[in-house]
Amino acid sequence: MAKEDSTAQFAERARSVQTVVAEAKDLAAVFEYAADITVKQGGDTLAAPGIQGKERDRLLEVCRAKGIELICGELRETAGRISTGLTGADWGIAQTGTLVMDSKSEDIRLASMLCETHVAFIKKSRIAPDAGTIEKELSKMMKASHGYLAFISGASRTADIERVLTIGVHGPRELHVLIIGEDGQ
Amino acid sequence: MIKTPGDVKTYKLDLKRALANKFLGATLDAFASAYPQSRANAFSGIDFDCLAAEIARGKDDSIPKIEEMLEEFTARAKEAGAVVHFARTAFEANSIIASIAEENGVKRIVKSKSMTAEETFLNAHLERAGYVVSETDLGEWIIQLRGEGPSHMVMPAIHLSRRDVAELFTKVTGQEMDPDDIGAMVEVARNELRRKFLEADMGISGANFAIAQNGAIGLVTNEGNGRLVTTLPRVHVALVGVDKLVPDVTSAMRILSALPRNATGQLISNYVTWITGSVECKSAPGSRKIMHIVFLDNGRLALAKDPIFSQALRCIRCGGCANVCPIYKLVGGHNYGHVYIGAIGLILTYFYHGRENARAIVKNCLNCRACKSVCPAGIDLPRLIKEVHRAILEVEGPKPLKNVLLKRTLENRRLFHFLLRSGSLAQAPVVEGRFLRHLPLFFTEEHRFRRLPALAKVPLRDQWEKINPRIENPRLRVALFGGCLTDFVYPEQGQALLDACRGYDVRFEYPMEQSCCGLPALMAGEKETARLVAIQNLKAVDPAQFDYVITLCASCGSHLKDYADLLADEPLLGVKAAQLQDKVIDFSSFMTKVLRVDPGEFRSAGGGKTAYHAPCHLCRGQGVTKEPRELLSLAGVEYVRTKEEEVCCGFGGSFSLDFPEISAELLKRKLDNVADCGATALVTDCPGCVLQLKGGMEQRGGKVEVKHIAEMIAERRK
Repeated sequence: MAKEDSTAQFAERARSVQTVVAEAKDLAAVFEYAADITVKQGGDTLAAPGIQGKERDRLLEVCRAKGIELICGELRETAGRISTGLTGADWGIAQTGTLVMDSKSEDIRLASMLCETHVAFIKKSRIAPDAGTIEKELSKMMKASHGYLAFISGASRTADIERVLTIGVHGPRELHVLIIGEDGQ
Repeated sequence: MIKTPGDVKTYKLDLKRALANKFLGATLDAFASAYPQSRANAFSGIDFDCLAAEIARGKDDSIPKIEEMLEEFTARAKEAGAVVHFARTAFEANSIIASIAEENGVKRIVKSKSMTAEETFLNAHLERAGYVVSETDLGEWIIQLRGEGPSHMVMPAIHLSRRDVAELFTKVTGQEMDPDDIGAMVEVARNELRRKFLEADMGISGANFAIAQNGAIGLVTNEGNGRLVTTLPRVHVALVGVDKLVPDVTSAMRILSALPRNATGQLISNYVTWITGSVECKSAPGSRKIMHIVFLDNGRLALAKDPIFSQALRCIRCGGCANVCPIYKLVGGHNYGHVYIGAIGLILTYFYHGRENARAIVKNCLNCRACKSVCPAGIDLPRLIKEVHRAILEVEGPKPLKNVLLKRTLENRRLFHFLLRSGSLAQAPVVEGRFLRHLPLFFTEEHRFRRLPALAKVPLRDQWEKINPRIENPRLRVALFGGCLTDFVYPEQGQALLDACRGYDVRFEYPMEQSCCGLPALMAGEKETARLVAIQNLKAVDPAQFDYVITLCASCGSHLKDYADLLADEPLLGVKAAQLQDKVIDFSSFMTKVLRVDPGEFRSAGGGKTAYHAPCHLCRGQGVTKEPRELLSLAGVEYVRTKEEEVCCGFGGSFSLDFPEISAELLKRKLDNVADCGATALVTDCPGCVLQLKGGMEQRGGKVEVKHIAEMIAERRK
């Protein structure tokens, strides 16, 4: 499958499980998006434990400008008050609209579990047509000692009361995926 | 606590109560109606049968190697910092988990959904030991608060209404809940359980996979509670049946591609989590999770060595067999399993929870094969259910009178046919048209949902010489396998076959030594009798002498094809049984594919709409689905599709005598669907279904004419 087709299928399948999918030019655009959505939803914190170095400084600036607190680590301490969790994804699987996230780091896990809205970004080049295509990479990530590999497809959901679909039972209430094009970084 | 009656009498009272529960009936019906389409959508672009065969093959390869896989898994998981335990019994597993809790000074425990933990009654064990255990899957939490077991393996609280949940949550929160605000109720769960996650010292999960190759476990969830259970507390214990071991990532991915699709019609569940060893956990000493994996045997390793039952270990716990079961749909999971629910539940109950719990429920199977047709691991569920039934009968003895009589009469064809002929004479005073005026003495009020047909005055075999035209130079030689119903109740169906094939140069023969096909014996758990009768029939009908062996009975046809399995070990007849399998054909396939009847052979259209009922043993038993509809259309019949055309009519042979209340309800729904589509006639290709449908139609005073498809086709011939 051509890259464009995979991306289109990924977006279609992800949307079918209530994921918001958008394109982003680069990481800076992702930061803007995450900060904006936090403000829009009345939140005041953004947890992004995976963003480091120069990028973190840049994100900090964006957050400051919008009056948002940036949480970079020790997420257990802030468990009850994470508005938005921002993380990268290692792979995308087009066939099922799935994000594959290496979640060895506890903070990465908590950022994507305890937030109200999860914003994840992924490079277009990392969207595979199906799980079989990236099986070697998946194996490698599992095999790494102390591995925690997450497949995420849509926001937390339940249908346990009269089979009525209800979003946001335990994890995030919303999942936003930003696809960064080839020339982004 | 889960209570499953050990005797049929009590069980039937439970069934009656369930049938009277309007909410249960409506909610399960809505689910059963929606499921086939969402499942089909989820599998679009995937060859399901091929995938199921691959999963079955993979499982069959790995089941004999469970112990090797366990060794490999243990080595890999240890390298990654996990402690691996092996529990031979449920009690041992519970005790191991309790002592892990004790060693680590645990007080509060959160759990994600695990059928294996339900199997061992882990919560009760831990609570007795003084721990506070909270289920965190919404459905599991609800039933835990109510003190119930799950009523479905994937949707544990499907039997409850929003009102039930609102009442429960009002008690939990002390605040009035609005039953129509499901969002608010889910919010209650989110808040209540979030607190529990943060306070818990230990998380217990199950696992859908344990991958030997890398020591990883895989968890499939929608709510995300599994992620919190395995992340927040400092201790994680995974309780895993040894049957969840798979050799490698490829096998796990293959099963994952079928599991959510078949369970809930989702392409994938929201969260699939793969955990290898002790992951980072900042609340644990040294920031490493205290990770234990407890493997449960509880009879699985012995099951793995059983030539017949080992395939039960292929199960991936999708719950699909319950989703399509017409009986589950009527009575719900609390009356259709013990801990494990649905067709697989009837089987596993015997092995994991004992004969007492399996004895009554295992009889409640129509053998309609709906479960088998959707099983993603290709488990022959109806067959295993009968094998469990048989095992219980054999172990418990003495056998019920029904079995003794069945065995004595069926094993002696002359006696059997003598009895049928005598019955025909004896019934004379109570015959009214083609029906019995009243039911024989041993029937009860509950059997009154349909009228029973009278035995024919002259059975087909005694008319045969007279009605069968002599074809001197036939194009085809075909044996007719009558089966008891066509022979002794509906000989006119045999006549219809001859009429329908008039002018096609087919010489039909009726081998007189043929007897009952033997399916009723197998259904009653009398395998030996079934085998003896099969041998008798194979001696009577040598498949090598005929081009085809036709039967108007879907059940006989499907069972004749199964002789190949039943007699595989029979030294002299194994080959013949296999040959027979190739030559057995149903009426519609014979007309459309062999004779290739032409529309010109039929009178021009007339009459009203005709509905069709697909017999279980034709559409699923023999995979014949297109041909009957094609034949109706060739003959100019105005066929109208009805709702749930392929759902069982509720006959199931003697099932309808054993469980008349279930049979009656299935029949009612079937006839309602036919009435709804405005048909004036209803055809099917099985005399068993004709008996049920015709008797029901007569009893309700309906105007729709019920007949065998051969009769309608014969009437239409020019």
